[in-house]
Amino acid sequence: MTIEKRTAPLEVLADPKATVSAVAGALAEAEELFADAPVVRIGISSNITVDLLGAYLQRHAFVENVRLRVESGGYDDLPGDMERFAAADIGAVLVVLLFDNLLPSFEAQLGTLEDATIVAKREEFRARLELALTRGSAMRTILVTRLHRLSRAVDRAVPDRIARVVADFNAVLDDAAARFPNVTLVDVDNAITAVGAAHAFDWRFYFRGKAPYAVALLDELARNVVAATRAFGGYYRKVLVLDCDNTLWGGVIGEDLLEGIALDPFDYPGNVYWRIQNEVAALERRGVLICLCSKNNAADVDEVLARHPHMVVKDATVVLKIVNWDNKVTNLRRIAVELDVGLDSLVLVDDSAFECEYVRQQLPMVRTIQVPATLSEYPRAFDAVKRLFLAAGLAEESVAKTAQYRQRAVASSTRVAYNSHEDYLHSLGLKVAVSRNAEGRIARISELAMKSNQFNVTTRRYTQAQILDVMRNPDAAVHSFEVSDRFGDAGLTGVVIVLYADAVAMVDTFLMSCRVIGRGVETAVWSHVMAAAERRGATRVRAEYVPTARNALVADFYDRMGLTPCAGAGPTRCYQGELAAIPRAAPAWIEVTDA
Amino acid sequence: MLDESRLKKVMGSVLKVDPAAIGDDASIETIRTWDSMRHMSLVLALEDEFGVAIPDDEAASITSYPLVLATMRRLLEER
Repeated sequence: MTIEKRTAPLEVLADPKATVSAVAGALAEAEELFADAPVVRIGISSNITVDLLGAYLQRHAFVENVRLRVESGGYDDLPGDMERFAAADIGAVLVVLLFDNLLPSFEAQLGTLEDATIVAKREEFRARLELALTRGSAMRTILVTRLHRLSRAVDRAVPDRIARVVADFNAVLDDAAARFPNVTLVDVDNAITAVGAAHAFDWRFYFRGKAPYAVALLDELARNVVAATRAFGGYYRKVLVLDCDNTLWGGVIGEDLLEGIALDPFDYPGNVYWRIQNEVAALERRGVLICLCSKNNAADVDEVLARHPHMVVKDATVVLKIVNWDNKVTNLRRIAVELDVGLDSLVLVDDSAFECEYVRQQLPMVRTIQVPATLSEYPRAFDAVKRLFLAAGLAEESVAKTAQYRQRAVASSTRVAYNSHEDYLHSLGLKVAVSRNAEGRIARISELAMKSNQFNVTTRRYTQAQILDVMRNPDAAVHSFEVSDRFGDAGLTGVVIVLYADAVAMVDTFLMSCRVIGRGVETAVWSHVMAAAERRGATRVRAEYVPTARNALVADFYDRMGLTPCAGAGPTRCYQGELAAIPRAAPAWIEVTDA
Repeated sequence: MLDESRLKKVMGSVLKVDPAAIGDDASIETIRTWDSMRHMSLVLALEDEFGVAIPDDEAASITSYPLVLATMRRLLEER
């Protein structure tokens, strides 16, 4: 069942004066009524309590004919939330961070905190954020609220310390948004202004339950988020259907052949098409589904996608290719069926006046845009295409900024092609090469031991000289590993130090760079090291988890690796196990070798 | 004068339970969905629905139907 606007609960939800309970009641009714409608899932991760935000996001999504399912994260556990959301295949996450709660009453503390402490906190904030965003790098959208102040400035004309520090922390968010193309920042100050500062906050529940946002602000924030994302891509146009010849490239592939079509970024008219292809790829990054629909031999189009050196739109950019000799109307219907979207979600770009007119007549709900006869006008015509997909004013600035920094990493742009995270991991072709006592790499090994914080089970710091000592100790082994995949080499990214006493292998250090977290590398390395210990004659293994302020990520690492916690209290947890009984579950998508 | 069925409707919609199931024994202990987080939403919804401001201490302590009822009655009379 599709969602129809003129039903009673949706009218309540659309009514700006609906009370909290009216909204809650109408949501329950609408959920029941549209139980068959597809859902868009969004996770919320926050360092404050925003219970009602989920309901208000659902409200505004329903108003735009989108059924939203909201998953709440844990309290103040951004990296953990991201991991869980990614594992649950949730493609959109809203991150709501309250500056004042980064430390208890942070704004009030700022008056007395040393600058160095604030800088350290900011860097910790940066590291945590980047870890979380790295984990969410395969997600479609991560919306992050910009930080704002809770207390009012005495004199807004003179930026006070709070204003300066908030700006400083916001710069961290700007950096992140620039580096991670799926991150969009959401302005909260705007929403606060819209509802009025006096009605925006609820100090009762801030102190009692870390819930500082009043209903009015949550409602406004939800409205902004839904608008900024076009209801998470759930309404307006979703699919861009592109003809190929003289639309995606110049010329006709069946006649001009691979070498003859125009797509050279440095030469007219190829540069016009190449520009358009970049726009198309950017739209794909923003969540638009790209389809090719062309009257051609399928093999010819496949060859261009696979082999033309200047193609920006590649197989991984494209969710569906319909290349045959049927007419466009038949093919557009097929696309709508295959993608399970309405025909009104489709936008067609085609150079043929005949095809465009035919589609307009037969399928008026499809938005059709013809490539202008004057080719230099094509980019401007394509602006209209972009407007159909992108919300007005939606972080245009951050998109532009993202583009500046964006690496042409194929890794993230290929993600739509995979059904599951595991498929994706398989596609990476991950290789882990483990070395033992690699004296030539002592500098890097020590550097990692000195610097790694998050994925570091014991956080023992070792100098180069100490590492060398351990390597030359016959009763010890320093395993280091290098990770690579088909996109490149991440270099030496992890270290495991094992000390041997009689038949016991004591895992002294297990650390890994955050760059390779989330791919199962640790499990593969663990199995490899356990096998090495067994070959060396060990029968039992012991290990420790030493908690620090930064390494909660690995709090359950040894539990996951199949070790048993020893009895005993204290922050440091010891583990043990019989080597033969420890599961060796190396992920199937990783190839481990001895270097 | 407080309309009890309206009160129960508000509580039911926020706590996601059937209003008819809210009796005198209903409390944060007996209704599974009534947790401390949802409680804040309930207070906000009550304030919004009845146009009253629930004072700080009561906001935290009205964790059963009889307490909610008594507090809302008093606040509406005082208005």
